[in-house]
Amino acid sequence: MIQPNTATAPPRKKLRVGQSASNQLLGYALVLPLVFFIGFLSIYPTVLTFIDSFFTDNPLDPPVRFTGLQNYFEMFKNPMINHSWGNTAIYVVIGVLITTVLSTGIALALRDNFKGRGIVLAILILPWALPGVTEGIIWQWIYDPTFGVLNSVLHSAHIIHAYHVWLGSSRFGTIFFIAVVQIWQITPLATILILASLQSIPQELYDASTVDGAGWWRTTFTMTIPLIRPGLAIAVIEALITFLNIFDQVYVLNGNASTGNSIMLQTYNTTFQNLNFGEGYALSFMTVIITMLVSVGLLKLIYRRVDY
Amino acid sequence: MNRKAAFIAGLTMLGVVVSGCGTTGSSSPGSSSDSNSASGASSISGQTISVVFTSTPPPQKLLDEFTKQTGVKVKWTTVAWDDLQTKITAAATANTYFADVTDVDWSRVGQFYDTKWFLPLNQYLDVSALQKDVPQLNEFTSHGELIGMPVDASFMVTTVNTADFKKAGITTMPTSFSEYNADLQKLVSSGVNKSPLGIPFAAAEGLSTYWYETTAAFGGSVLSPDDKPLFTDPNSAGYKAMEWMVNAYKSGLVPKGNINMIDSDEMQNEMANNRIATIFSDYSGNVGTLYNVPSQSKVVGQVSYIPTPGVSGIGPNLGNPDGMGIPKTAKHPAAAAAFIKWFTSPEIQADIAGAHGPSLSIVDWPLPCRLSAMQQLVAADTNKTLEASLMEQLFKDHTQPPFQGGAPAWYAQFSNAVYTNIHSAALGQETVEQAVQAIASTVNSLNQNG
Repeated sequence: MIQPNTATAPPRKKLRVGQSASNQLLGYALVLPLVFFIGFLSIYPTVLTFIDSFFTDNPLDPPVRFTGLQNYFEMFKNPMINHSWGNTAIYVVIGVLITTVLSTGIALALRDNFKGRGIVLAILILPWALPGVTEGIIWQWIYDPTFGVLNSVLHSAHIIHAYHVWLGSSRFGTIFFIAVVQIWQITPLATILILASLQSIPQELYDASTVDGAGWWRTTFTMTIPLIRPGLAIAVIEALITFLNIFDQVYVLNGNASTGNSIMLQTYNTTFQNLNFGEGYALSFMTVIITMLVSVGLLKLIYRRVDY
Repeated sequence: MNRKAAFIAGLTMLGVVVSGCGTTGSSSPGSSSDSNSASGASSISGQTISVVFTSTPPPQKLLDEFTKQTGVKVKWTTVAWDDLQTKITAAATANTYFADVTDVDWSRVGQFYDTKWFLPLNQYLDVSALQKDVPQLNEFTSHGELIGMPVDASFMVTTVNTADFKKAGITTMPTSFSEYNADLQKLVSSGVNKSPLGIPFAAAEGLSTYWYETTAAFGGSVLSPDDKPLFTDPNSAGYKAMEWMVNAYKSGLVPKGNINMIDSDEMQNEMANNRIATIFSDYSGNVGTLYNVPSQSKVVGQVSYIPTPGVSGIGPNLGNPDGMGIPKTAKHPAAAAAFIKWFTSPEIQADIAGAHGPSLSIVDWPLPCRLSAMQQLVAADTNKTLEASLMEQLFKDHTQPPFQGGAPAWYAQFSNAVYTNIHSAALGQETVEQAVQAIASTVNSLNQNG
């Protein structure tokens, strides 16, 4: 069912030279703003960050001077930074896995029309629209060990016998409960991306699979999931970037405590609290590189071109 | 776009508040009610300054009065404290203008002295004349340079819910630390409140300042004048203070939920909602601006300040005021200085603190930075809603800086080590001994590198 694009593409009309050149110019003109934004707001600062990461740049230790790889060596020697990398890896694994499974499930449930589907979609998108700090405050109330809703509900349902301190007690527990907040925020976006892919699958394919006698599970896992791989790949990359950059929820729910400290929080502290800009540049650049490498790896693993 | 500006613009996406500007700067400050002349007013007249600060602006009526006196227009932008600190750093390192007047927190004075991000105010203000009337001036002075002018009289002070204390059979308020401890036990044993004590135990700044104040009540300080750790000995004030705080959490005197309490505001709301009965290290001004405000409080008329119950008599109240300073990138430093002089003058300080009615005050303004303004507040506080009289006495006689040698330039890293380790100790992830050793090790390393 998955075919190369060329097999189904209609033959193109030959254009005259003048028309072709004008179309090309229009194409460049339309792409130019994007090139400008990506170039000046992303690539240029990244290149400068890379260059500056080889300098010791600390207003409390002037002057700015070239020190080669020292910032990188210092970074790897710093136990707090290594701990933050470890925490961030756990955030990513928990967050990306749960977000992907949850958003795929919700998208599948929302694929077919039903009464009130529009309202459900509108409600679903709400957490995505909330700022991270606001979400942190809402969930702080939910997780509160003394008056929190979570304790209250679990206690009323006799699942727990005493109120728990959910955040801070253990490293894994803290990361899990903070990740839940970020999952709550990013799942709507991932769902919409996957839903868009789902809705582009022609109905004829489902009709054919029904005629062939395939059940729901077989259709879902051998036809639907492979066909939504482009959307799934984008959703997974979105989730990956979100969890690698997790900051607001961590700070609001757990402060700077090492149990939940993420690499972004560590970068902020290194740069703006300790004024160690050189090491901050090195940390930022490492985060960019890791984000790119993992993103490319996941893209290769998940993405397949799909044409109908 | 220089490199740092590009980095900040692109990587952190931090928007720097850019405000309106007028004509080019001039050399001398303008007039104010505190100033002895209005000689500079003509040279700064027509300029517009940008004030970026953490509080809401003064009433327009007052700002108009300043404009009338000096010809300087004020554009006031309110930014949350944490965000503002980042903006100050971002703008200074990028060498970018973002304000003519902005916040100088006591904890960053050492850092700002070393980095030279702020213009010394000595050239604009008569520092020696101010000493008598502004007790917290020293907290903003480093190596003889006045980095910022204190604009409020924020200091740590003990608050108690007298109604709860009375219910527990406590009729006389504690005057020593042992009495305070005994009263906490009475509150628990009488069933009035099983977790009566407020301490914000999250790994954030509020926990550090609480420890400094408790250490002062135990009769010591955390760092020596040359920034050496004074808390590693189990008999030291700092060690005992940390042990007391950690045990208070573990024994249940402090509500469990406080382990995630980042902001002191949350703890004060617990007090306002009658969930706790006392805060050992509360903020000055809260009785008038929160606990006695019917729309925000369930304990109106019940919460009082008490002099710090120290181990040997009345303990000190550590100051943690905010100040205003002039960033080195300011476009109109002379007009900015004129504004700071005006804003910290006795009349305006009394106005914004509410001495002359709510129409001239800034909502939630703690207390005026000047003793003379405090006296006006005492005179106006006829029904004792603000407990201004006691506040004046504590401000005059008992406030002292958290650090004998001033806040060190590496304060942020020190504070980070303090709150992360006390937080861990409260959770039982390390002992108090391990926590103090870890903090001391950070201090020693910072001293070596600094």
